Amino acid sequence: MTDDIQVWMKVAAFVGGGMAMGFGAIGAAIGEGYTASKANEAIARNPQLSGDLFKTMLVGQAIAETASIFALIIAMLLLFSNFSHTSPLLIATFLAAGLCMGLGAIGSGIGSGLPTAEACIGIERQPQMKNRITTIMLAGSAIAQSPAIFALVTSLILLFIDFTGKPVSPTWAAILGAGLASGLGAIGSGIGEGLVAKSGCEGIARQPAGATRTTNVMLLGMAVTETTAIYGLLIACILIFKNFPAAESIAASMALLGAGLCMGIGAIGPGIGEGFAGQSAVKWIARNEEGTATLTRSMLVGQAVAESTGIYALVISLILIFVA
Amino acid sequence: MEELGRINQLIVPFFGHDMTFNIGVIVMTWAIFGFLLLFGYLASKSRRIIPGTVQVVGELFINQLYGLTEDAMDEELGKKYGPLICALFMFLLASNWCGMLPFMEEPTKDLNTPLSMGLMGFAIAHYAGIRAKGFKGYIKEYFEPIFFMMPLNLIGELAKVVSISFRLFGNIMGGSIIILVVSHLVYSILLPPFLNAFFTIFVGAIQAFVFTMLTIVYIAVQVK
Amino acid sequence: MAIEGIHIVQAAAFLGAGLSMGLGAIGPGVGEGLAAAKACEAIGRNPAEAGLLTRTMLVGQAVSESTGIYALVIALLLLFVV
Repeated sequence: MTDDIQVWMKVAAFVGGGMAMGFGAIGAAIGEGYTASKANEAIARNPQLSGDLFKTMLVGQAIAETASIFALIIAMLLLFSNFSHTSPLLIATFLAAGLCMGLGAIGSGIGSGLPTAEACIGIERQPQMKNRITTIMLAGSAIAQSPAIFALVTSLILLFIDFTGKPVSPTWAAILGAGLASGLGAIGSGIGEGLVAKSGCEGIARQPAGATRTTNVMLLGMAVTETTAIYGLLIACILIFKNFPAAESIAASMALLGAGLCMGIGAIGPGIGEGFAGQSAVKWIARNEEGTATLTRSMLVGQAVAESTGIYALVISLILIFVA
Repeated sequence: MEELGRINQLIVPFFGHDMTFNIGVIVMTWAIFGFLLLFGYLASKSRRIIPGTVQVVGELFINQLYGLTEDAMDEELGKKYGPLICALFMFLLASNWCGMLPFMEEPTKDLNTPLSMGLMGFAIAHYAGIRAKGFKGYIKEYFEPIFFMMPLNLIGELAKVVSISFRLFGNIMGGSIIILVVSHLVYSILLPPFLNAFFTIFVGAIQAFVFTMLTIVYIAVQVK
Repeated sequence: MAIEGIHIVQAAAFLGAGLSMGLGAIGPGVGEGLAAAKACEAIGRNPAEAGLLTRTMLVGQAVSESTGIYALVIALLLLFVV
C-alpha cells in the first residue's frame, strides 16, 4: 500500500508539474505576442525609433514572462524534489500546487502584455515622454503580476506546509479547493489590472500634462481590481489552515471542493469587469481634467457594484466552509 | 497559526438560549468611539481663523464628505445626511486602520460590524425613500417593470446589504489573514510593514470610502 | 466507508451550489463592468450630467446583476433546502 501511494505521489507530481507549466505558458505567450505585434506596428509607423521601441518591447516582455517563470519554478520543484515521507494527502497537494500556479499565471501573463503594448504605441506617438511612459509601463505590468504572485504564494504554502496528522478524507478536498480558488481567482484580476494599466500608458502618451493624475487613478483602479484575487487568496488560506474534522462521507469533501471552485470561478468575471470600468475611467481622466474627481468616484462605485457578484461567490464559499 | 480567524467570545446563558458577545470587537468599537469623540472635541474646541493641525484635519473630512453628499443628492438633502456620512466614514477609516497598532484589532474584521453598518444604511435609505415618494410610490417601485418581479426586486434590495457588508468584511478579514499567514511564513522578517501599508492603510482607506460612497448612492437612488 | 445515496445527493448539492454561484458570477461581473465603463466614458464626455449618469449606471447594473442574484438564490436553495 505504501508503494502504491509513492507511485501515485510521483504521478501527481509529474501531472502537477506538467499542468503548472502548460497552463502557465498560455498567458505569457499571449501577452508577449500582443506586445510584439504592437511594437511592430509602432516601428512600421516610425522606423527611426526602432532602437527605443525594441528596448521597451524587450523589457516589457521580460516582465510579462515573470508569470510563466513562477510556473517554471513550481514545475521544477514538483519534478525534482524528493519528498521524505509518504502520505495520500501529498497526492492532492502536488496536483493543487501545479493547478494553482498554472491557472494563476494565465491572467497576469495576458495582463502584463497589455500595458507594454500600449507603451510601445505611446512612445512612437510621444518620443519625448519616453522615460515617463516606461516608468508607468514598468509599474503597471509589475502590479499586474501580483495575482500571479498570490498564486505562487499559495503553491509554495501548499508544498511546504506539513499536512501530516490531518484526516485524509475532507483535507484532500480542502487542498484541491485552495489551489483552485487561488489559481482561478487570479485570472480575472490579472487581465483586469492589465486593462487598467493599458489605458494608463495610453492616456499619458496622449496627455503628457495629466501624467500625475492619470498615474494616481490608474494605481487606485488596479488596487480595487485586485480585490477579487485577494478573495481567492483568502478562501485558499482558510481552506489550508483550518482544521477540518475527519468525515467519511463524501459530502464534506465536496463542500470544500465546491467552496474553492465557487470562489475561483466567481472571481473571474468581476475581475475582468472591474478592469473594463477602470480602463474607461483612466482613459477619460487623461482626456478630461475637470472631471477627475467625478470620474474617480464613478469608477469606484461602478467597480464596487461590478464586484458584488464576486462577493456573493465569497459568501457561498464561506457558507460551504463554515456552515455546511 | 491556530489563532486564524478566532474571536474572543463570551457566551452568557440567557433563558435557555446562549447569548454570544464578541468581547474584543465590542471593546475596540468603544475605543474607536472614544478616539473619534476626543478627535471631534479637540478639532472644535478652539476654532480659529488660522486653524491648528487637528482643526485642519477635521475641516478636511467635513468639507470633502459634505461635498460628496451634496454632489450625489442636492444641497438640502446633502446638509441633512452630511453628518451621518461624515461619522460613517470616520468610524470606518479609524476601524480599518487601528489594526496596525499592536494589541488592537479591527472591529470591521468581525462580520457583525459591517453587517450592522450595512443594515443601518439600508434602513436609512428606505426610510428616506418612503419619505420622498410616499408609501404608495415606494411600494409601487417593487412591482416594476411587471408585478411578478416583486420577489426578485425584494431579493435584489436585500442582496445590496449582503454585498456592501461582505465587501468590507472580506477585504479587512482577507487582509489581516494574509498579513498573518505571510508574516508567519517569512518569520516576520522584512515583509510585514509593506503588507500592512498595502492591506491596512491603502485597502482600508479605499474600502471605507467605497462603503461610504455606496451608502450615499443608495440613499440618493431612493430619494430621486 | 459505505457511500450511501443520501451522501451522494448532498455532495452533489454542495458542489452544485458552488458551481452555480461561481459560473453565475462571470456574466454579471463582466456585464456590470461594461456598464460602468460606458458610464465613465459618458461622464468623461459630459461631466455636467454626472449625477444622472451615475444613477442610470446603477439602475442598469442592478438589472444586469439580477442573473447573479438568481444564481445566489439557487445556490442558497441547494445549500439549505435540498
